[in-house]
Amino acid sequence: MARPHIEPFVDRDVAFKRMLLPGFGRGMHYKMLSMDGDTGACTMTVQLDGGYSQPPGFSWSEWEMMVVEGELQLDGRTVRKGHYFFVPAGYAMPAIKSEQGAIVLMMYNTGEPSLVEATEHHHLAHTKLYHDVDSYLDITWVPGNIVKPAVASGVMIKLLNYNPISHAMTFIYCMTPAFYQDNISYHDCAEESYHLWGTSWMMQFGDIPTGGYFWRPAYINHGAFASEFGCIALGRVDSKLFNYFHYNPWSTPQENQTRAAARVYQRDPLLYKWMVSHSHNHPHGPEDFEQTQKLRGPEFPDNEPETDGHKHSHWHTHKHHHHSHD
Amino acid sequence: MTFKNLFIDHERSKEEEEWVREELAEQEQRFAKIDGQMNDLAPTRAKWYEEFFDRISLRGFNADGDQKVKIKREDLPVKPEGREDRVVWKYGRDTE
Repeated sequence: MARPHIEPFVDRDVAFKRMLLPGFGRGMHYKMLSMDGDTGACTMTVQLDGGYSQPPGFSWSEWEMMVVEGELQLDGRTVRKGHYFFVPAGYAMPAIKSEQGAIVLMMYNTGEPSLVEATEHHHLAHTKLYHDVDSYLDITWVPGNIVKPAVASGVMIKLLNYNPISHAMTFIYCMTPAFYQDNISYHDCAEESYHLWGTSWMMQFGDIPTGGYFWRPAYINHGAFASEFGCIALGRVDSKLFNYFHYNPWSTPQENQTRAAARVYQRDPLLYKWMVSHSHNHPHGPEDFEQTQKLRGPEFPDNEPETDGHKHSHWHTHKHHHHSHD
Repeated sequence: MTFKNLFIDHERSKEEEEWVREELAEQEQRFAKIDGQMNDLAPTRAKWYEEFFDRISLRGFNADGDQKVKIKREDLPVKPEGREDRVVWKYGRDTE
């Protein structure tokens, strides 16, 4: 079932609801932006009342958070608007408080929101993937042309999270005043955006103002694009972002996907032929041996290195065979 | 979903099941409202499409970044006969 196409939706048009799920404590209110019908994964605008406090703990789901307004206190520090968190499933966060209240965007990627009180990480947590950053002050803007074909000048981005396997990304982006881009785009991935400030326009959906949101499944047309006064937004894609540009506003997602497959055929014909001829239609894709290969593990015998890591015994720097040419 | 897929298996409580069920029911209403609003926008959108065709034929189509290509008027697409102007697709290519 996945998440349905929610576009456009403006969170200012609906009221906050009290969060009643266990663990989160009193003083947490939310607006649901989109939810995955299979997993409960969701994105919410969340209001934390002044004096809100939640205990240390972890979630069963991977989650991300962006501070939109106000301040949070955690781990002896105060974080402000623009602060971004990537939290792996099972990663125990410290207690979080908001003395004066805050608005945050919360994104649960793999399951419904959950908070299990704990001061230690779950043993399955990928703790090294945790990171947080003040995205407004500690990351610089770079041109948005990170993929080709690229967006027009006037889109700038700051990358917040990148998955090297799926190429999923979380980023903030802005459009300069008087930005426009005259093409229609679609992608192989789902795309999500929340307007932190400002208004942008798309030919299919009209204006998306501050608090505007979309979750768009793959292969759906969007664009042309414009922003009269500029905007800044948080964006996410759930796998590799590739821009398929065209100018037919009446093409369907099925036609767009077929065109995308045709491009793979034109660009990588051998790979395409192999995939089709071997009917590699397993729902999880062909096996990636890097993810399934047997590893040595901690119990592997004699697993210490034998050299200092600088040795190349194949180099002929010492013993040379001298041949007689007499 | 192809995010990192970091998820630790656990059992949902009845409370959580009920919460998810209620949210999904509300999402159905939200989707229906958006779908209706976007259908209502069709006449305005038809005008936007024509303006778009004018811009890409007179000033250029953004083929890649700022690289612009002027599209000849005779090369502009025609709306397929009988096809409605649809922009909301509930599950993308899997929409019925």
